[in-house]
Order: sequence, then C-alpha cells, then structure tokens
Amino acid sequence: MDDTQRANRLCLAQLVARQLPGGGWPFSFRAAQSSVETTALTLLALPSTFIRERERAIRFLLQIQNPNGNWPSFAGDDKRGSGYTGLVLYALNRSRVEGKPAKRAVDWLLHSRGRESHWLWKWKFRTSDRHVRFDPDKFGWPWMPETASWVVPTAYSLLALRHASGSSQQDLLSFRIRRGVEMLYDRICPGGGWNAGNGFVYGSALSAYPDATAVALLALWGEPPNGLITASLDWLERRAETCLAPWSLAWAILALHGFKRPTQTWINLLSTVVEPAAIEDCATLAMVSLALRCASGRNVFGANS
Amino acid sequence: MKADPGTFLAGPFGLAAGAATTVRLDKPSSRSIGRQPRSRVAILHAESYSQNLEQVLRSGLDLFRLDVRAKTVLLKPNLVDYAPGNHINTHPLLVSAAVECFRRLGASTVLVGEGPGNQRDTELVLCESGMADHLRQQKVRFVDLNRDELVERPLLANYTGMKSLWLPRAILASDVVVSMPKVKTHHWSGVTLSMKNLFGVVPGAKYGWPKNILHWKGIERSILDLCATVPVHFVIADAIVAMEGNGPLNGKPRPLNRIVLADDPVAADATCARLMGLDPERVTHIRAGARFLGNLSTVLIDQVAEPVQSPEHPFELVPEFACLRASPMSESSL
Repeated sequence: MDDTQRANRLCLAQLVARQLPGGGWPFSFRAAQSSVETTALTLLALPSTFIRERERAIRFLLQIQNPNGNWPSFAGDDKRGSGYTGLVLYALNRSRVEGKPAKRAVDWLLHSRGRESHWLWKWKFRTSDRHVRFDPDKFGWPWMPETASWVVPTAYSLLALRHASGSSQQDLLSFRIRRGVEMLYDRICPGGGWNAGNGFVYGSALSAYPDATAVALLALWGEPPNGLITASLDWLERRAETCLAPWSLAWAILALHGFKRPTQTWINLLSTVVEPAAIEDCATLAMVSLALRCASGRNVFGANS
Repeated sequence: MKADPGTFLAGPFGLAAGAATTVRLDKPSSRSIGRQPRSRVAILHAESYSQNLEQVLRSGLDLFRLDVRAKTVLLKPNLVDYAPGNHINTHPLLVSAAVECFRRLGASTVLVGEGPGNQRDTELVLCESGMADHLRQQKVRFVDLNRDELVERPLLANYTGMKSLWLPRAILASDVVVSMPKVKTHHWSGVTLSMKNLFGVVPGAKYGWPKNILHWKGIERSILDLCATVPVHFVIADAIVAMEGNGPLNGKPRPLNRIVLADDPVAADATCARLMGLDPERVTHIRAGARFLGNLSTVLIDQVAEPVQSPEHPFELVPEFACLRASPMSESSL
C-alpha cells in the first residue's frame, strides 16, 4: 500500500467514525448538526463497499428533502432551500438514487434562479448599479432564494442538471444549462479562474479562488475547449503550487485531473501534508479522500468517474 | 418574483454605494436593548506590528478593569482574504497579543473565530495570512464561524425585516465577544469597523459566500440588526496600518500607528471614524446605532488615553462616500 492509499484509508476511517446517528455528517467533528454539503460530499467519497454508511447517508438525505424538492443547508434548517440542492442531487444520482425525489429536485432547480434575472433588477444593474461588472441576462443559481446567482451553487446545479435524466422539460433544462454556463463565463476573473462571483468590482480586478475555480471548471466539463477554460486551468495549476490548504488543494486536483492535466505532484503533496485525524472539518476530509482517489484514475466529478 | 422596494436602494451585491447616504433609518425599531450612559475609549500609540504589542495592549486593557476571570472570550478579528502587500486583515500579531492579554486577565478559554465573507476555504486564509502559525504556537482553538453548529436567534432589532438569523453556537456560547476590526474604508458602507465586522459571524454554510442576503436587505440595516442581536462586549481595533480608498480589499495602506480600545462598539467606531478624518454622524449605521446601541457624541465618550486627533489629510474614499469627510471643526468629528 503506498502513501496515497494509506492516507485515503485513514480519511475514510475518520469519516466512518464521524457519521452521526441520523446518517449525516457535520462540518466539525465537534458538532452534532448534520450538514447537507458535508453529507453529499462524503456520500461521493465513500466507495461502494461501505454499504451500511452509504445507505444511512442516502436515507438521511431523502428524509430531509423539503416538500418542494430542494434541500436545506443542514438538519433543522428552515424549508426555503439552499444552493446545495444541486450537489445533493448529483451525489444521489451517482449513487443511482432516482425516482420522485430526484425528479422533484430537478423541477425545483429548473425554476430556481438568481434574483438579478428579474426585469426590474436587470434594469437597475444596467442603469445605476454598475460597480460590479456583470451581465444580469446571464444568471445561474443562488445560495438561498431571493438572492443573486453565485459561482458555487451555479456549478453544483450544472453538475446535477447535466446528469439529470428523464426530465419532462427538456427545453427548459437545456435553457438553464446554457444560461448557467454563460453566467460562469461572464463572472470569470480577468486573469482566469473564479471567486465567489465578482470578477471586477469598483474598477479593480479581484483574484480567483482555487476551490471556486475548480468547481466551476468541473461544471464546464464537456463544453467546447476555449481560451477561458485554458486560462483558468493555467491559473489553477500555478495556484496549486503555493496552496497547502487541503480543501483548496483537493478541489484543484479534481479539476486538473478532470481536464487531464498532471496531478501526481499535488496528490503526493496532499497525501504527505494531511493528517486525517487532525482535520476537524469533515467536508475537507471527504474532499481529500475524493482527490486522493484520482491517483487510481477515479474522479467522481470527471468524465471517467 | 416581486422586487422589494425596501431593498431596492441598498442593492443586492452591496452595490449602491450611495445607499449609505440615501437610505433613511429614522425610526429605531429595536427593543430590549439598552445603551450605556457613558462609554470609555482608549487610543493607544503603537509604532508598528512588533512583539511589544502585548505590552501596549496590556497597559490599555488595564484602563478598563475588565473582569474576564473564568469566562470564555471569543476574539473576532477581521480575516477576509489574503493578498501579499495588502493590509486587509487584522494583523496576526495583534490577535496574538490579545490572546495572551485575556489569558493573563484570567479568562478560562480564549477562542478566535471568524467566517470570511467571500473565501470558502478559511484555512487557506489562515495559513496565508500567517494567522495559523500564531494560533498553533499559542495553542488557541480557531472556530470557523462559517461552518459552526447553528442556532436560530430572533433579531432584537427590525431594520431588515428578517425575524431571525441562524448564528454560530460558538458566538452565542461565549461570555465575552471582542470585535477586532481592521480600520478600513469600504466601498459599499463607507467604513468597516467593529460594527461591520459582525458580518463575519453570519454563517456562510447557511447564507452563502458572500452572505448575499445581508446585501439584499441593506448593509446598514443588516449591521444594525446584527449589532442589536450579537452583543459586542469589547473592541480592539487595528489602526496601526489602516486602509483607505477602495477598501475593504483593494485600498491603499494608511499608517495611523494606533490601536483603539473601547467598551462600546458605537463609541469605538465613532472614534475610529474621527481618526480617519471622517464625521461619524455622516456614517449611516454609526449614526443610527447611536440611537440605541452606544454613544457617538464626544460628550458621552471618555477618552482615557490619547485624545482624538483627526489627520491633516482625511482618508481617501470612493467618490460616493466623499461626503463622509468631516467639515473643519464640525462638532461630531472632534
């Protein structure tokens, strides 16, 4: 067993030990409140041999789905829904969970949109509010209802909708995917890559973040190759060289691997810098596990997943 | 989807910089919040970020006779992002000095907590800003407020129309919350000081990155609701090297060589504004906060260390906020 496999095994052991009685995972191992994002990422990370843990996680996610099809942010949250809905749907889809819950989630995603897409806000952004450079015609998904579109929830939603099957609203599905892709291109940072979603504010270019860049790239996988994607991959490669934080480095590995860029150096780095037992954040632990699995060619967000 | 006229002025991306001067917050709608009759502020001289900050800070804290014995103290620095050369964050050496001082004062536990507004990878910001090294050396627990366990709390003011907010358990469970802002201008709220610093306690895991709901509800309104609901017991503001111009991320460093301590966030922010050459009466959330949260007027603030001296050249601001500059000899600026 090599260092990478050993590190991944330790990550998985930690994740199994930290599963809450209800079937979910918290962000911090100190907490007892299940986080939807952490649970979805962990479900993606656990190999199919972890049958019991995966079943409990799926049951938890299905139990807390809101009646209108979306998912809350955490167990006990209100019913308004969250930007993690796309990620949960994607995780369930990869786990072959289909049927009504998935259909309801797809329907909700098709009708959820950033508030800037409303005609009144579009008018305002075109006429008076022009300090953030963006095109309100190009909208995606918000973190929570009645707010604007941002990069991560849009990327999560695109990942889910690209894998959604059997929707009765194919035209709307295609339209939302197209708009979401356009929104990501519109919000790109001037030097390549993405941050939360503001590339240029008050006359200043803002810098990109590794995790947001990676998830946006993964959501754009399958789009025709273009200069924006290349510039963002180049930026991510450069950024990975100085990034020692496991969450960001893991996301970077997954994106670079998905686009067939070399990743072995970063995988080796990740497997040496992380001490799974010392990682308090379970979502980070799940991401590290997902990234380490790229060493064996498996990328849960990539074409070869 | 309906557009809410109440939020229309404020702007969803925290845009509408003019909101600070156009939004009227005439009616304090808070309840059950008492303003202390007088406030104490200490302006301390600190030439640079050096190891003797602890000594400077300790001498300042002695002026307040704080009783934190056997209490849990949570330090809330302003930790936003990292860009080499930009003075964006509260300096790690000041946070480190505060940790040591509160331990010496007898606190049972000292925590550091923050929830960055844009950057989801808090650990990346901690590492690159140098904060992680200090926390490790001092064996201080850091709480990522974006990802802490959450508890729903009714808001104790009603400026935003939101009835409640989910807040991190670590903040609610602490006996003493110390706001440790970096003194900066802000292109959407004029200034970001100890009151605006509370945006960092709003959890990203629930409200997203950025915490966009606060922008849609109005930045000033959100600051007031937050300050009414999350008590700030003490302020240590980093004005050793402040930021002017296009803050909070892309402004220019502006040395003030000061640390501001206060037992009242409104008094702290009013004093910091004066040190920046701004009129706190013209900063919407400080003026509104002075109606029910704390004291703005110099008459009600005891300066227990150095006197307030406005700079010869006021801080640069984005054009929409140029109106915040104090007029010569205006009562509220001095």
